[in-house]
Order: sequence, then structure tokens, then C-alpha cells
Amino acid sequence: MTQLNRRQQALLEVKDFSFWYEENIAPLFQHLNVTLNQNEVTLLMGASGTGKSSLALCLNGLYPEAVEGIASGEIVYNGKNIMEFEKGELTQEIGIVFQDPDSQFCMITVEDELAFTLENIKVPALEIHARIKKILKAVGMEGFEQHKIHELSGGQKQKIALAAVLLLKPEMLILDEPTANLDPVSSLEFIQLVEKIQKDHQISVLIIEHQADDWLELIDRVLVISRDGRLAADDVPMQLFTKQKQLLEQEGVFLPGDYSSQPTLRERWIQTEPSRKRILSIRSLSFSYRNHEILRKVTFDVFAGEFLVIAGENGAGKSTMLQLMAGLLSPKAGNVCLFDRPLAKWKEKALRKRIGFVFQNPEHQFITDTVYDELTFGMKLNGVSDQEMEKAAADLMEQFHLTPYRLNNPFSLSGGQKRRLSVATVLDETPDILLFDEPTFGQDAGTTSELMDYVMDLKAKGTAIVFVTHDMNIADTADNIVVLKKGKVAFSGSPDSLWKQKGLLYEARLRMPASVRKGKGELHGLIH
Amino acid sequence: MVSSINPSLKMFTVLIPGIVLGLTYDVFTPLVYLMFILVVTFTMTTIPLLRWLKFFSPFLLIAAGFAWMTMLYTNQAFSGGEVIFRLWMLEVTTGSLQTGLSVGFRSLCFGALSLMFILTTDSTKLMLSLMQQCKLPPKLTYGILAGYRFLPIFRHELKILQQAHRIRGVARARGIKGRVNQFQRYAIPLLANGIRKAERVAIAMESKGFTGDPDRTHYHKMIVGKRDWLFFTLMIGALITVFVLSYHLGYLEIFGRSFG
Repeated sequence: MTQLNRRQQALLEVKDFSFWYEENIAPLFQHLNVTLNQNEVTLLMGASGTGKSSLALCLNGLYPEAVEGIASGEIVYNGKNIMEFEKGELTQEIGIVFQDPDSQFCMITVEDELAFTLENIKVPALEIHARIKKILKAVGMEGFEQHKIHELSGGQKQKIALAAVLLLKPEMLILDEPTANLDPVSSLEFIQLVEKIQKDHQISVLIIEHQADDWLELIDRVLVISRDGRLAADDVPMQLFTKQKQLLEQEGVFLPGDYSSQPTLRERWIQTEPSRKRILSIRSLSFSYRNHEILRKVTFDVFAGEFLVIAGENGAGKSTMLQLMAGLLSPKAGNVCLFDRPLAKWKEKALRKRIGFVFQNPEHQFITDTVYDELTFGMKLNGVSDQEMEKAAADLMEQFHLTPYRLNNPFSLSGGQKRRLSVATVLDETPDILLFDEPTFGQDAGTTSELMDYVMDLKAKGTAIVFVTHDMNIADTADNIVVLKKGKVAFSGSPDSLWKQKGLLYEARLRMPASVRKGKGELHGLIH
Repeated sequence: MVSSINPSLKMFTVLIPGIVLGLTYDVFTPLVYLMFILVVTFTMTTIPLLRWLKFFSPFLLIAAGFAWMTMLYTNQAFSGGEVIFRLWMLEVTTGSLQTGLSVGFRSLCFGALSLMFILTTDSTKLMLSLMQQCKLPPKLTYGILAGYRFLPIFRHELKILQQAHRIRGVARARGIKGRVNQFQRYAIPLLANGIRKAERVAIAMESKGFTGDPDRTHYHKMIVGKRDWLFFTLMIGALITVFVLSYHLGYLEIFGRSFG
């Protein structure tokens, strides 16, 4: 291990640092003492809501000022307190790539976006063109100058975001869940790019990430922030992932597959076979939007008690497929039948009772002011008596750990609580089929396994479950997987038979889950 | 070509005739200038005719509406002349007919000028030029550019919200009260998300070294050159010519005062 030799010169020292968003509330994190070194790659982990992103912004000096928060303690960069830096000076030393590819650009074309960065640091106009060309080559996006950013794929957007930050020639790079929005292969490509850049430029990298698996080759050290905002662990990955498993589980951190002694996700639940009762049947379904074909002749069935995963790269038509299955969109050709009756022939009210839909962003689903009202909204519409309503709501709140928040505004809940409430709202009457759009996106280990527990319980009771997801560990637990590629069904069958088709996996930009991959050396063999 | 003219100067070149024509109350002046604008639009830009018509047709309707209303309800000061016809209680005189037509043509001039500007100007270049020529602060111009990127995202979010409400069994709102309620339900999540996204973009911009300092280099140097001044001279020169012509022919009328 080379870590010990590398640990030489301190780049960033955090000393007894605490941060509050407002006075009189508990600090987001407190009394942090940590030193980040030159040319060291550090992984920062912790449950969602522990302030990892806020810490990143404190490090490059934008917080607490930008949110009018309060901080105590000090952060020292290269021997100088960060408070002493001029505005805009420190951000050049410490560059950040953010999670959401859609809200980190301000210009329309790639060239203008990169020029914006260079203009900020007053690079002479004549040098700008050459610098842009060079950096695009470095991130593997040569010739994309005139492309419009909003037309790029998620993976390409993140590469541009990385290029923009690298133009600042930072000493340190912070990556805040940079691959959360990407399909499995794009995600792996981005990680390999970071690895190459780190080696070429010898810069320090701080990575914030829930899933450590793919970063393992790269990281020297892991930090864990506990739920109460303290530094719970600071160690080399080997030590941490083998000796402190209990701590990690308690803090809601995913253990990398290589270190996990737990049964794989799919062995956690008693497998229940789907019945032969057909709930939803999709027959040669086609859909287009503004003369652009999105789905073409898609055919498959969903049975009672089946857990079906729809996978595929960004833009393959997965979300559109789900919306068609819920009857939110009408097909151009072919049809979707619920119990052998086309969705269009169902009464809206009856349809909504039988089909539940959980959106990617839970906030989109909230329409009332309290958790209780949110849970009883559907019951009120259906004229359920007050007593029954009270009991059903109490049961749901109990089951989803929401009882203490009965009168809270749904928007004020934490990320995990919002996710639980969004699932609970569709369960007021047991639907026949539940559709989920990326339900585990951005969730920590605790919230994810909780959600999967509910879902598997419902499945055992005979509800059909459909997930759209990029998470191959979850896909592995499904009864069946439908892979969409450019709007067509490229595969339909069991996970095990899918994992055998390597060519197809790569073309659809999917990967084997970590548990299957273990010991097969797929990580590098696939792309190189 | 109009599309390559410096956007800031183009804006003034279009605004000046728009305002000056607003003062004329005769038919001849705006009509002649309108024809001139159309000639410029179809010889010096590459806007396809159909696309132009699509945008211009609403202006035609509005202009016709203005003209009709002005004709029927002309201010006493301009409604002299013989009575041409009577409509119920209203008398239409030669004076009011002239004022009506003038209003119509002026509106069309304004519409045609606006279209010439909008359809030939790139939003990024406009902002860069406003920053470089008019010394608008970068915080404002880059803020507007970032906001511009949000428009399609907002539309997408609204669509998702509508779907989410449908899933929850909320029927489409009926009546005014229902509409107001529905608006409230959409407004809060849309605003909450909008504010959050705006904050994120602001932080991302600052992370890329943006401080709002007007002292910055400019990759795309926006300059005002000979061609730009030529265009300015052409448009303003034509305006003056039309006024002079109109004066000599005895048509010119400004604020109801005849200069013939």
C-alpha cells in the first residue's frame, strides 16, 4: 500500500469546524478535525442529510456566506486561513463537480460554457480557443465545441462540468456524487476519466459518494460522517471496510460488494414466485413525441406478484414506457391493457385505484400541507369514513416511521422521510400494480434497504412491482428484466440470463451487479 | 445580413423608428416605412417566409383590432371631416378613419421591427454585447442567460406535476375557485424547485471563479464596426427620408398637427 508514503504534505486542514444553517438548531456537522493531503484521493461517506455537500462548499469558501449560515473553527488551505482569501481566489484552487448535470451550467454551447470559466479568471481572449481544445481532448470530448449542452447525455454533461473545473487548474478536486444521474457504463467511464486525470495532474481528490464499489481502485482513504455530524471514521479502505462493518451499517453506508459478507441483496428476502395472473399486458406499443420515435413495437407482460425491472441507458425511453403503463400518456400504436381491458376504456377513478405510481422526485407528489392530509387525501376523495381514515393513516404512519411527523409539512421532511411518505401515499388502497421511477436515486443504504423491504413485502402479497432503475444490484433482485435500447426491447428475461450476455450489456450501457462481478475481473476488462 | 449586426446597436436601430413613428398620426408615413421594413426583412435576413408569417399573423390581428377600435372611438381632436358612415350610435368620419388606419400601420411597423430583431438575434450574443457595449453588470447578463436555460426545465416540471396530481386522483380543476386552488398546488413545488435549482446554478457559477467583477476578458469580442453603422444609417436614414417625403407631399401629421 502506498498510502503511508503519500501522506506527506497537508493541503487542507479542517480544525474543530462546525456549521449551522440557522441559529438555535442542531449543527449540521460539528467539531470536525481532518487533514486532506496533496495528491491523495479521499472518499467521504455518510447517510443522506449529514451535510456532505455543505461541507464541500465550506471547503472552497462559498459556504457559510452563500447561505448566511454560521460556522465556527477554522479551515486552513496551504497554511493560510481560507477567510483571508480574496473572493473567487479559493474557488480556483478547489474545484467542484456537482451531482445534478442540469443545474451547473449557465451557457448554451460547450464552447461558451468553457470560455465563461476562462473569462472569469481573466485568461487573454487569444489563448482561450487553444485552452478549450486542449481540455476537451483531455476529457475525451474533442470536437464538441459547438454542441448545445442541453442536448448532451448525462455522462457527456458531467465530462464538460469536469473540463470546466479543470480549466481553473485546481490543486484539489471535489466530486459531489458525480455519477448519481448516469447509467452504469457512463458512470464507470467517468470514474476512469477521473482516475486518469488524477494520475496525470497529481491533484488531490475528495469524492462524495454513497456507493464506493467502482472507486475502490482509486481511493487512498475513507472518511465517514455520522448521523449526528461528527467524524465517525478516517481510515484506509481495507481497514475500514473489514474492521468497522457494524459502524458503517449503523451510519447508513453501503458496504462495497467486495467486502460485504452479507448475503447479496436478492438472498435477503424469501423469493416468492409470481403467479400466472396477468395484470398488465403491453402489445406492440409505439410512441413518438414531436416526430421523434421514442418507443417502437414494445411487447411484454406484468404478472401478479412479479418484480419487473426496466433498464437501459439514459434516453432509451424507460420513463416514457412507465408513463404509458400508468395511462398518463396515450400510445400512438398498439395498446396497454389492465386485466385484458385497454387503459383508455377504464374510468379514470377506477384506474387510479388499481395503478400506483411513485415519482423520482417525491416532492412532485405532495399536494397537501401535512403528512396526515397527504396520507388521507385519496381516502377523502373516495368518501371513506373518518374513523376508518384515522385508523388507516395511523397504520401507514406506523409502518413507515412517520408517526412523529403527523402534522409536519411534507416539504420539511428529510430526503428519506419524503421517499417513505411518497410510497405510503400510494398504498392507501392496495393497488394491483405499483410503478416506480428511479426510487432509490440519491438514497443512502438505510433508506434503500427499507424501501426494498416494503416493496418485497407487497410483492409477496401479490402486488406487481415495476422499477425503472440504473442500480444493477437492485435489478439483480428482480424476477424479470426488460432492457430497452433505442426504444426497442433488446432483452426480456431473468437477471441471471442477462448477466451472461456481455455484448448486449455493454451495448445497452448496463453492467453486471457487484455481487455477480466479484472475482470475474469485469471492472477493467469490459472497456479496455 | 441583419443577423451579423451588433445586437446592442441593432436594438437601438429598431427602437428609434419604433418610438418616432409612434408620434405620427397620418397614414402615409407609417405605411411607407412599413413597406421599407418588409423589403429589409426579405432581402437582408434569411428568415423563411412561412416562419415569419406565423409570427406576424398575431400582429396583423392585433393591429386590425387597434385600428377598428380607434376608428370607432376617436378622440374629438382628430375626428373632424365628413361623416362616411354611421354605425348604431357612432359616426365614422374621414378624420377617424385616418387615425384608425394610422394606428394600425404603426402597430404593424412595431411588430415587423420587433420580429426583425428577435428572429435575427442570438440571446447569448445579445447579452455579451449588452455587457461589452452598454456596460451592463455581468451578474445581470449571466443571470439572465442562466435563467433562459431554465425555461424548458420548467415546462418539463409542470408536466410531471400535472401527471403526479392525476395519479393522486385530483380531477382537472373546474371553475374559477378550482383553478385558483390548482394554481396554488402547482406554484409551491414549482417555486421550491426553481429556487433550489437557481441556487445550485449560482453556486456552480461561483465555483467556476465567477465573482460578478466587470473586469473580465471576452472570448467573443463584440464590436461595433463599419457594417453596423451602415445598417444604422440605412434604417434611420430611411426613416428621415420618409418623414421628409411625407412633409413635402403634405401628409405629415404629428400629434394631430399638420405640417403640410
